[in-house]
Amino acid sequence: MSVPAIEVRDLRKTYRTPFALKKVEALRGVTFTVETGHIFGFVGPNGAGKTTTIRTLMGLIKPSSGAASLLGHPIPSRAARAKVGFLPEAPYFYDYLTVPELLDLAGRLFGVPHAVRLKRADALIERVGLGRARNQSLKKFSKGMLQRAGLAQALMNDPELVVLDEPMSGLDPIGRKEVRDLILELRDQGKTVFFSTHILSDVEAITDRVAIIARGQLQAHGTPAELVAKTIQGVELMVRLAAEVDPGELVTGADKVRRIGDELSLTLPATADVDAWLQRAHAAGAKIISVSPRHETLEDLFMREIASADSSPAAMEGRT
Amino acid sequence: MIGRIWAIALNTFREAVRIRVLYGIIVLVVGANLLTIVLGQMAATDGARVTRDIGLAGISLFGSLTAILLGVFLLYTEVQRRTIHSIVSKPIERWEFVVGKYAGMALVLSVLGMLLLQGVGISDAILKAVVLSWFEVMLVAAIAIFFSSFSTPFLSGIFALALWVIGRVTPDIEAATRASSPVIQWTTKITLYIIPDLHLFSVSGSSVDGVSVSVHGDFVSWGYVGLSALHGLGWIAGLLALAAVLFHRRDFA
Repeated sequence: MSVPAIEVRDLRKTYRTPFALKKVEALRGVTFTVETGHIFGFVGPNGAGKTTTIRTLMGLIKPSSGAASLLGHPIPSRAARAKVGFLPEAPYFYDYLTVPELLDLAGRLFGVPHAVRLKRADALIERVGLGRARNQSLKKFSKGMLQRAGLAQALMNDPELVVLDEPMSGLDPIGRKEVRDLILELRDQGKTVFFSTHILSDVEAITDRVAIIARGQLQAHGTPAELVAKTIQGVELMVRLAAEVDPGELVTGADKVRRIGDELSLTLPATADVDAWLQRAHAAGAKIISVSPRHETLEDLFMREIASADSSPAAMEGRT
Repeated sequence: MIGRIWAIALNTFREAVRIRVLYGIIVLVVGANLLTIVLGQMAATDGARVTRDIGLAGISLFGSLTAILLGVFLLYTEVQRRTIHSIVSKPIERWEFVVGKYAGMALVLSVLGMLLLQGVGISDAILKAVVLSWFEVMLVAAIAIFFSSFSTPFLSGIFALALWVIGRVTPDIEAATRASSPVIQWTTKITLYIIPDLHLFSVSGSSVDGVSVSVHGDFVSWGYVGLSALHGLGWIAGLLALAAVLFHRRDFA
């Protein structure tokens, strides 16, 4: 069995305010595993504990308790960091540097030989679309350009594992698409990608596995299909009716009815007897266009898990 | 290890040469040098002595003040601006980062020191004085970086400046308390032990073991310079080690 790319066991982080001696629990026993070669989406609202988890993994923050390992090395590990590429949230780099200088610094810290450093930096600058800005200092970069520079420096060591904290943040739709493509390309190269986000469409589009975190605790964990397939929220029945026909009994009992021209869209309850509805539709002279189950979307699941975390006893305790 | 420390040092040097305040200092240094030469020319007797005095005082004063100015921002800014996140997440130990930052600053200060030396004729005595001043500036830089590892630039600046001033007048403080009660004398003695003795590095025109020394006449031996340098290196190593420990314990949230 291969070593997991990331293994997190009951990770906890508690901050104490200096004067009030009040405890703030940023992480409350987070446990998950990221298998090698996967794209793993770490989802949660602002303040959920995503960045704290990532910073703990990267050795920026010391955990209060619990354990974690990167590529089999318990954190904090210099050996693991040598094989990991990291993009911090809203990255801020030395603004007096140009992109080639930034990549040179990153390459030196990773111990990449000079010739490889130059070649790799050139390729990455082109790959992230900063070729035209290579002579500008980072001071003049937009947020999106900084994000691209951050991605490039995270890849300077040709990492086995790439950890990206909000990589799509600050990017326009084209930039987001490019980052998604880059993540998929990294997976195709056999790398593991772990990224945090609150943009659910990105998660649904590219991840192999997802974890939802809220209030410092993991709420759900699995493949996007597993997570949303657990619940069918209803059935979409689409039929065509002659314009003069009154849908009459056909719509009775439907959760939602929408008629556009001669097409009638019915949202049936999850418990509905679909065969009976189809017979009723035939009897009314309707032609069936489609019947499809309406699964819960990741967004539905996300909202439900967040609401459940907010109403948990621990959350209520935190508010008092 | 050396490669990583050098990468940080090089970046710190790059940062320093690209900040405007350093150019202000360089203009000031060049101005002081010109003034030194002009005053030397104008002096009725021994113009070279005037040039030497102002040049050497300049190294100590400008060097120390620049060391404080650069040093107090060194680690604090990295944390405040979060540039540290993309550095310590790479395979570098935090102590290597602290040493690298210090080495970069030492490089900047050495270049500035060389600028200050322009126009000063180098003799054996002058060379000894320059070496001593260089160690003083390096020690002041270590003091500044130590405070910068846990405090704001403003407070670090005040602390470092206070230590610099006190460190330079340690014999005067001891002399001033000589007539006081034994409690005050002992308290002063103990306090002065935990403060770097910067007076060791500024011997020109002062007294060493009861003998008046000056770059213009008798001057201290190379043995004295070596021992003072060792004293300075000891302090620098201690302060950097403390800064590294404090930096190691920090969370970069």
